[in-house]
Amino acid sequence: MPEQRVNFHQDLDEIRNEIVQLGALVREFIPRGTDVLLAGDLGGALALIEADDEIDALTLRIEEQCYNVLARQQPMASDLRSIVTAVWLTGELERSGDLMVNVAKAARRIYGAHLDPRLRGLIERMSEEASRLISLSLDAYVERDASLGAALADIDDTLDAIHGDYIEAIFDAHSTHDLGLQPAVQLALVGRYYERIGDHAVNIGQRVQYMVTGWLPEQTGAARLRAREATLVDLESTEDPRPGDQ
Amino acid sequence: MTESTSTDLPQEVEEPMATVAASASSVGGGPAMTPAASSDPASIGAEVVFDVRDLDVYYGAFRAVRDVNLQIHKKEITAFIGPSGCGKSTVLRCFDRMNDLIEGARVEGKVLYHGVDLYDDRVDPVEVRKRIGMVFQKPNPFPKSIYDNIAFGPRLAGNKENLDDLVERALRQAALWDEVKDRLKKSAMGLSGGQQQRLCIARAIAVEPEVILMDEPCSALDPIATARIEDLMQELKAEFTILIVTHNMQQAARVSDRTAFFTTEINSHSDTRTGCLVEYAPTNKIFSAPEDERTENYVTGRFG
Repeated sequence: MPEQRVNFHQDLDEIRNEIVQLGALVREFIPRGTDVLLAGDLGGALALIEADDEIDALTLRIEEQCYNVLARQQPMASDLRSIVTAVWLTGELERSGDLMVNVAKAARRIYGAHLDPRLRGLIERMSEEASRLISLSLDAYVERDASLGAALADIDDTLDAIHGDYIEAIFDAHSTHDLGLQPAVQLALVGRYYERIGDHAVNIGQRVQYMVTGWLPEQTGAARLRAREATLVDLESTEDPRPGDQ
Repeated sequence: MTESTSTDLPQEVEEPMATVAASASSVGGGPAMTPAASSDPASIGAEVVFDVRDLDVYYGAFRAVRDVNLQIHKKEITAFIGPSGCGKSTVLRCFDRMNDLIEGARVEGKVLYHGVDLYDDRVDPVEVRKRIGMVFQKPNPFPKSIYDNIAFGPRLAGNKENLDDLVERALRQAALWDEVKDRLKKSAMGLSGGQQQRLCIARAIAVEPEVILMDEPCSALDPIATARIEDLMQELKAEFTILIVTHNMQQAARVSDRTAFFTTEINSHSDTRTGCLVEYAPTNKIFSAPEDERTENYVTGRFG
């Protein structure tokens, strides 16, 4: 049978391509922000902060396209899930870009502070992990790979572990008086930014799962809540025996 | 059941059984049966009005619909969707035995209404249609006054008292009263299409049926009149069980609680088409994450 609604499907393909483009911009931000931080490159920091406007503009364009398709085409089933996923992904990616802007701003705040090799190494490793996670989440999206999407939560454990080591390294550097309190706090926040990018990648993976299977990520928590509530109802009903039961 | 000394609970259990037994025996004096046991987990908690089992409909030797199995739940709106010729209207007409009126039409399998097979020889189709009303695609008021359109069914049933109250109540339930209360004696043919369709709904509910069947009730109406009928359906749901056949997928998505998707299969040896039920699920599921690829292709409009 011939394919129908060809223009509509072109719109969907275009949204998908632009999400990939947005993802590439964000992914490229991660090593770039890290270089700015490690080199204390004030010009680079400013350039990165300005480049974030491109991410914002593309995010806005994708969002508007999604709303237009929703309003004009009333997508259903997998098409509906693709559009809803696209709206979610723009949010996750845009925020990840903002976190690298925060890294660039932190570079300005700690300008001149000495970073020991251990800290530098851990920052590089966090940066690599964060960028790997964003890449994998985009792969899952492009390939419609629900199992890779689901695996991201486990893959993110590596970044969480490096983040833990990094916080310890900040304490060590601060206690040996190599690192002042103000830069120590800034660096702790920087670690948090990378760690959050990993969380956004995990979210993207879950949204990809929804797009492919219709499974919503919060179902596990919601099921736990329902089970707890059901247990409470059972307890109440056993405390108040029905008439004629004995 | 032996007499029990305990108070509320046994009565609560007893009552629905008694109701079913009463309705079973009163449908044309048909056989009294035990209520249909439900094996569908999705139906738990909702009373089953119709239980369709292995339904085949033939027009002469041609099998128009095959192997339909589904349950219709009380005070829900169930939508039938699918391409032309998929058998959705044919199946709908089985619920009030309207297929009886078509030459050569024959039904196999069972359509159980509260456990009673509607196609049992002892069931009177006229009695069936008192309990199960129908609204058609094209508004079809009688060429009589608005009042007489509504009073027609009750009069036929021998109800001569309080007709004024009955007419007012039916028109109010159909959200038409305020528009027609000053012209009840005027011809129904002078109403707009949307008003005529609401009049037909009022006429259907005036005989106090349990179920209302709607066969594309909005396809002849503009979007505003359509929206009024859809709002009305939500109000009527509090009292009636509604089945709607619609070509408008968005309408099914907007109004229904459950959706049944039918499609056509081409019979390779005879080059004929037979309708079959592909998927029956809560409407949210059908339109957000259907199980069957054929449903997916239909609701996304991907393939004809």
